[in-house]
Amino acid sequence: MDYFATVATLIVIQAIAACGLNVIVGYAGQISLGHAAFFGIGAYASAMLTTKAGLTFWQALPAALLITMLLGFLLGLPSLRVREDFLAITTIGINFIVEAVFIYTPFFGGALGIGGIPRVVVMGGRLGNNQFLALCLVFLVLSLALCRQFARAWAGLACFAVREDETAASSMGISPVRAKLSAFVLGTGMAGLAGTLYAHYARFISAGDFGFPVSISIMSMVVLGGMGTLFGPLLGAMIIGILPEIFRPLIDYRMFIYSVLLLLMIRFQPGGLLGDSSLVVGLLKSLKKLVKPKNIANPREIGGDGDV
Amino acid sequence: MSRALLEVHGISVVFGGLRAVDDVSFEIHDREILGLLGPNGAGKTTCFNAISGVYPPTLGDILLDGARTNGAPPHGMARLGVGRTFQIVRPFSGLSVRENVIVALGGPRYRGNLLRSLTSWRKKGIADEAGAILDRVGLLDVADRTSGQLPIGSLRRVEIARALALSPRLLLLDESFSGLRSTEIAQIEELIRSIREDGVSVLLIEHNMKVAMGLSDRVVVLDHGRKLAEGKPSEVASNQAVIEAYLGRGERGNVA
Amino acid sequence: MQLFFEQLLNGLAIGSIYALITLGLALVYGILRILHVAHAAVYTVGAYVGLAIYSHTSTLLLAIPGSMVVCALIGVAIERLVYFPLLKYPPYVPLISSIALFLSLEELCRIIAGPELLTFPAALPFPSFSAGGVRVSGTLVAVYVVTALVLAILWFITSKTEFGLAMRAASQDMDVASSLGVDSRRVVDAMFAIGSAIASIAGILVAIYYNQVYSTMGTMPAYKTLALIVVGGMGSVPGAVVASILLGLGETLLIGFANIPMPRDALAFIAMIIVLMWKPAGLLGRG
Repeated sequence: MDYFATVATLIVIQAIAACGLNVIVGYAGQISLGHAAFFGIGAYASAMLTTKAGLTFWQALPAALLITMLLGFLLGLPSLRVREDFLAITTIGINFIVEAVFIYTPFFGGALGIGGIPRVVVMGGRLGNNQFLALCLVFLVLSLALCRQFARAWAGLACFAVREDETAASSMGISPVRAKLSAFVLGTGMAGLAGTLYAHYARFISAGDFGFPVSISIMSMVVLGGMGTLFGPLLGAMIIGILPEIFRPLIDYRMFIYSVLLLLMIRFQPGGLLGDSSLVVGLLKSLKKLVKPKNIANPREIGGDGDV
Repeated sequence: MSRALLEVHGISVVFGGLRAVDDVSFEIHDREILGLLGPNGAGKTTCFNAISGVYPPTLGDILLDGARTNGAPPHGMARLGVGRTFQIVRPFSGLSVRENVIVALGGPRYRGNLLRSLTSWRKKGIADEAGAILDRVGLLDVADRTSGQLPIGSLRRVEIARALALSPRLLLLDESFSGLRSTEIAQIEELIRSIREDGVSVLLIEHNMKVAMGLSDRVVVLDHGRKLAEGKPSEVASNQAVIEAYLGRGERGNVA
Repeated sequence: MQLFFEQLLNGLAIGSIYALITLGLALVYGILRILHVAHAAVYTVGAYVGLAIYSHTSTLLLAIPGSMVVCALIGVAIERLVYFPLLKYPPYVPLISSIALFLSLEELCRIIAGPELLTFPAALPFPSFSAGGVRVSGTLVAVYVVTALVLAILWFITSKTEFGLAMRAASQDMDVASSLGVDSRRVVDAMFAIGSAIASIAGILVAIYYNQVYSTMGTMPAYKTLALIVVGGMGSVPGAVVASILLGLGETLLIGFANIPMPRDALAFIAMIIVLMWKPAGLLGRG
């Protein structure tokens, strides 16, 4: 069961990070390609606080979240003011620079990284693999609840409006910068949470764990599952996490299969598996109709021209 | 005539060397419908954008209720009670018609207190409030359709409904009649009159001369960024300079 | 001082090669507003195809044009099969598809040609010379001459020919250009063909300059060139060229010569952030 727990824990941690990215990209429509940087900042903050400052996981967690969100705020503010194409590029830049800072600063362990990160202790007992998985699941449920609440909150509605049309949103009394920043800070906070869990899962971290390819992989999860949907990032994380286990015999072609899959997905189903115009959702809906053939006539279809 | 709600004092808007609006002044009074007319490229939309805060005027002042507002961003103007529509409609396409209106109902919940902005908008009271506004513009039966699928006539109403949801004191309508059929035009004309009855002032840009002259209490005519004429529709329609500005350039506008 | 000049010449060569890659990206962004990350994969494919032809024929006179033709076709295929159908979506859709395409092509190169480092033992037929104790190798001369030639031809095409006029019209506004009788689709096809052919030249030059061909040689250029088109001013081809050459010089002089302890590959992004704060439109941006 240890193998299962190891794979599952990583999937759950990545799902939390993907949920965070979904808030930024799916809810607020801002392309961030540097999500792994914030994942890494959370991990490094927690690793430093537990190994060097001697804090426990539970003391380090809120501090790591605060640090990540603060950096998210500081790095997001200038990036979100520039044109939207620039944001993709500046976030790539942030990822490369953050990775370089981790490698080139002896304070952060340099190229060797940080080892000896303690296990999580709950009520005097160290958590085993399965228990840590359960803890991560609890955090995943909390993250999903937070996303759901955000989508129902006025702050979330402001993000949807900005995503759909920034100019129109601002003429409705919404400050676009504030809306984007709220999504960015919430999203980076969730990346920080995922990073903290990752540090205590891997117990040894180095800069390479948070490089640009990791950002791409998190983005793939969100795209695959369906941007802006609640459960899409979770589904995407499961698919991307389980695929390598299935394709183990094809390990040499793994990256190729991934990238082609991602390409086909975004080319033919940009809404993702759980998105609006998805084949999967369409199939499920028509299945549902077959099972329950009531309510076929939709009164809204009649006045199709909208002439009232 | 009552006091001025909006005063535009000698504003100019300059883009790179080009004076899009040149020293234009006018006032809008309480419960007044003012038409802003002029041929294509006369600077009407630029004037609108300056008033609604899209860009500040290069020179001159804009006063709302006596207070200077130039430099306030668009969301600041919306909070001050200035609602607007767009010439090229800008619906929140992925949201339903009702959600489009709810966005504009957020008001103070988008600013200040963070906890307040985290309260839910999915409440019956709010949905009903949006429903009432949609009923008024005649869109209640499509309230739960995705707005991106609607025809242009309905989208123009969505824009008006959103602006109304701001409870504005001043409504800026940018060509709200273009692309509409004559039955729809009559309905929107009626709607604008009823909005005015509620105490809202309206500034409208309109290409269709017949509609603009019929609806406006007063009109201001712009040409090449400058104010050409101002007055009651009947006076302006017989103004020689105005007739030349339109007919001289072969515009199809029918000066009634 | 001699070391300084040697580094200066190397920096100029690296900058020239960056310029050859970046200008394709700037052309594409200028007309379609797409960040064409996969362009760097075309550059990698260019090096591999060039090497394949060279190892069978032993002549660059066949390797270079052959590779240019193959890459031009790949470029047009990318535009027609992937980008054009995605233009109606928000910009992140073509961007992510471009990244996925980049990774796929890179992997395809690795699977076909193998994971090992290949050598490209060709000599470029240019004379080397020495001036003031500084030796300028034939390869360096070749890089300068080829870059200058490509830039001159591109300048001639864009500013002196009817096609160049159509191209500039289309990059202002494709719909307006179409209504004026410009065949926008053909202009876009031609631009992808030209940009991709130039990228293949860059790939072959780099392969010979370092005597290396490997599947991930495009990884750093893929993202660095994005920073370069921001620095140059989005869509400005001259700006992209200037920014590229400055970066090549900066990388070799600041890090190689002055020994500033900084990761070489982060310099482009640091420069980008500085430029964004100081002049958000870029060095030669259009406002």
